[in-house]
Amino acid sequence: MNTPTPSPAIPPARSPWRGLLVLVVVVAIVAVAAAYAKRSEVYLLTLYCVYLMATMGLNLTVGYAGQMSLGQAAFLGIGAYHAAILLKLGVPFLLVVPIAALACFVVGLALGFPALRVQHHYLAFATLGFNVLVYLVMRNEEKLTGGTFGISGIPRPNILGFDLSGHLAYFYLTLAALLVLGFLLWWLLRSPWGRAFAALRDNPIRAESLGVNITAYTLLAFAIGAACAGVAGVFYAALVEFVEPGPFHFSTSLLMLLAVIVGGSGRFFGPVVGTIIIVLLPELLRGSTLPWLKFMQTWYLAVFGVAVVLLMLWLPGGLLSIPDKFRRKGSAK
Amino acid sequence: MSPTAQSGGRSFLAVNEVKKHYGAIKAVDGVSFKVGPGEIVGVIGPNGSGKTTLFNSILGQIRPTSGSVEFCDEDITGMSPLELSRRGVGRTFQTLQVFGQLSVRDNLIVAAQEFKGTLPARLLARPDAGLGHHADEMIELFRLKHVAALPAGSLSYGQQKLIDIAMAFMASPRLVLLDEPCAGVNPSLVDQLRELLVQLNKTQGGSFVVIEHNMDFVMKLCPHVICMVEGRVLAEGPPAAVQSNRQVLEAYLGN
Repeated sequence: MNTPTPSPAIPPARSPWRGLLVLVVVVAIVAVAAAYAKRSEVYLLTLYCVYLMATMGLNLTVGYAGQMSLGQAAFLGIGAYHAAILLKLGVPFLLVVPIAALACFVVGLALGFPALRVQHHYLAFATLGFNVLVYLVMRNEEKLTGGTFGISGIPRPNILGFDLSGHLAYFYLTLAALLVLGFLLWWLLRSPWGRAFAALRDNPIRAESLGVNITAYTLLAFAIGAACAGVAGVFYAALVEFVEPGPFHFSTSLLMLLAVIVGGSGRFFGPVVGTIIIVLLPELLRGSTLPWLKFMQTWYLAVFGVAVVLLMLWLPGGLLSIPDKFRRKGSAK
Repeated sequence: MSPTAQSGGRSFLAVNEVKKHYGAIKAVDGVSFKVGPGEIVGVIGPNGSGKTTLFNSILGQIRPTSGSVEFCDEDITGMSPLELSRRGVGRTFQTLQVFGQLSVRDNLIVAAQEFKGTLPARLLARPDAGLGHHADEMIELFRLKHVAALPAGSLSYGQQKLIDIAMAFMASPRLVLLDEPCAGVNPSLVDQLRELLVQLNKTQGGSFVVIEHNMDFVMKLCPHVICMVEGRVLAEGPPAAVQSNRQVLEAYLGN
C-alpha cells in the first residue's frame, strides 16, 4: 500500500493549549479595547457576540451535521420575543435565557422532522418556509407581538444585584455568555456526539448501518442549533431594548448562512470569522473616513457582494481554509 | 432447502422464500438459505442475478415483497438497518461507504461508539468513547497505522475499502454481510483481505455472508457457496461442487 499525499484538510498537529492561549489573548484584547471604545462601537461588538451565538449554532446544524437551514433568524426572533414578553413581565433574565433556549429547542426539534424526509435545496426551502411563517406570526399576531410596532421598553438585566444595563457591562455579560455557549458547543463537538454528527453529514446510510440513530441526531442538530439562536435572541432583545419583525426576516437567515460558509462551514472558528464579515465589516466599510475608502459609504453593499462572489469562487471552504490552500500549494511544488 | 453442513442443523440466519418483485421484474424470486453460527457463506452469480437486492432485503434497506428473514430465532423481516445493527448485524456496501472527512481512526470509533452507553451518556463520555484502544488494534490489524490520522476520503480506493470492512467489524457483530469486498481492490490486497476475514472469523466468531465475483477469493474463503441466477438459487454446496456444477458453468462461470 502506498502512503497517500497528506490531505490539505488535515491541520498540522499542534497543542490544544496553544489554541486556548491565542483565544484567551484575543478575548482579553477585545475586553480591554471595549473599555476604551465609543458607545456605538461597544454596541456593534455586542451585536457581533449576539450574532455569533446564532451562527455558531447554525454551524453545528449546517457545517457539522450537514443539515441545510435557512430558518435560523426565526429562532433568533422566537428567542427575542420570548425575552421581550418575559422580561417585561419581570421574569429574571437568568430564567429567561433557559426558557427561550428550551422553547427554541422544542421548535427546532419540530423543524428537524422535514429533514428526515428531504435534504439539500428541498430542505433549504422547507426551513425558509418556516422562517416566513414565524415572520408572519410576529407581524400579524399583534396582541402577542405588537405587530409591526413591535415591543419596546425591554429592560436590560440586573443579575444578583449587579446592574448590567450599562453598555459596557452588558457587553461583558454578552461576551461571557458567548464564551460559555462556545465552551458547551466545543464540548459537544469533541464528544462522541460530534463524531456522530459528522457521520450523519458524510454518509447517513452508512451511519445508520453502524447503529447511528440518524433520526435522533438529525433532530438534535436542528434543536441545538435553534437553542443557540434562542439564547442569542434573548441577548439581542435586551441589547436593542426593542423588538419588531424586521430583523428576523429570512434575509437574516441567509446572512447567517453566509457567515457560516464564508468563515468555514464545519470549522469551529469559522463563524467567528464569518460573523465579522457580515456584522462588523459592512459597518467598518460604511463608516470609513479614509479618503480612498470614502466611496465605500455609498458602494459598500456592492463591494461586499463582489467580495462574497470572489470568495466563493476561490475559497469555497471559507476563509479558514486559507492555510490549507497554502499548504496544498506548498506540497504541490 | 436444507440447513448448511456447517450449521449442524441449527440456523443462525434463516432466509425463507424471500421475493422482491418490481412489477413484472423478479429481482429476487423465492430465495431460501440458512447460515450457521460462525459460518462463512459465499454468494456468487452473474451481474443482475439479485444478490445485492437479496442483501438489501435481508438488511432492511428495502422491504421484501414476500418471505421472511429470521435471525437468532427472531423475525427480522423489514426491520430498519438501525434495529438490525443493534441486534448485531453488520454490513458493507457494494460501493465505498466511508466517512470521508473523518480520520481513519474516527471512522472506526464511530462504527462502534453508538453501542456504548445511552445517548445522553455519550455526550459526557470521553471523546473516543473508550474505543481508542480497540480502534488502534483494528488499525494495526488492517495495516492502516501510517494513515490513521488522515481523512478517509483522501486515501486510495484499496485503503478506503479496508476501512469500510474494518468498520463493519468494529462492534464485533454476530453476523456480517459483505457485498463484493474485493471489488476494485488491487489483486495483491485480495489475499490480505481474505486472511483478515479468516482471522476475524476466528477471533470474533461471527458468521459472514459474502457476495463476490472473485472466484478464487470465494472458493478459498467460503466453505459453503450459493450460486444465484435470475433471482433464484441455482446451486449450493461446497465450493468445489458448485464450481463444477454444469448449470453454474453454463449460466455463470463458463468453461
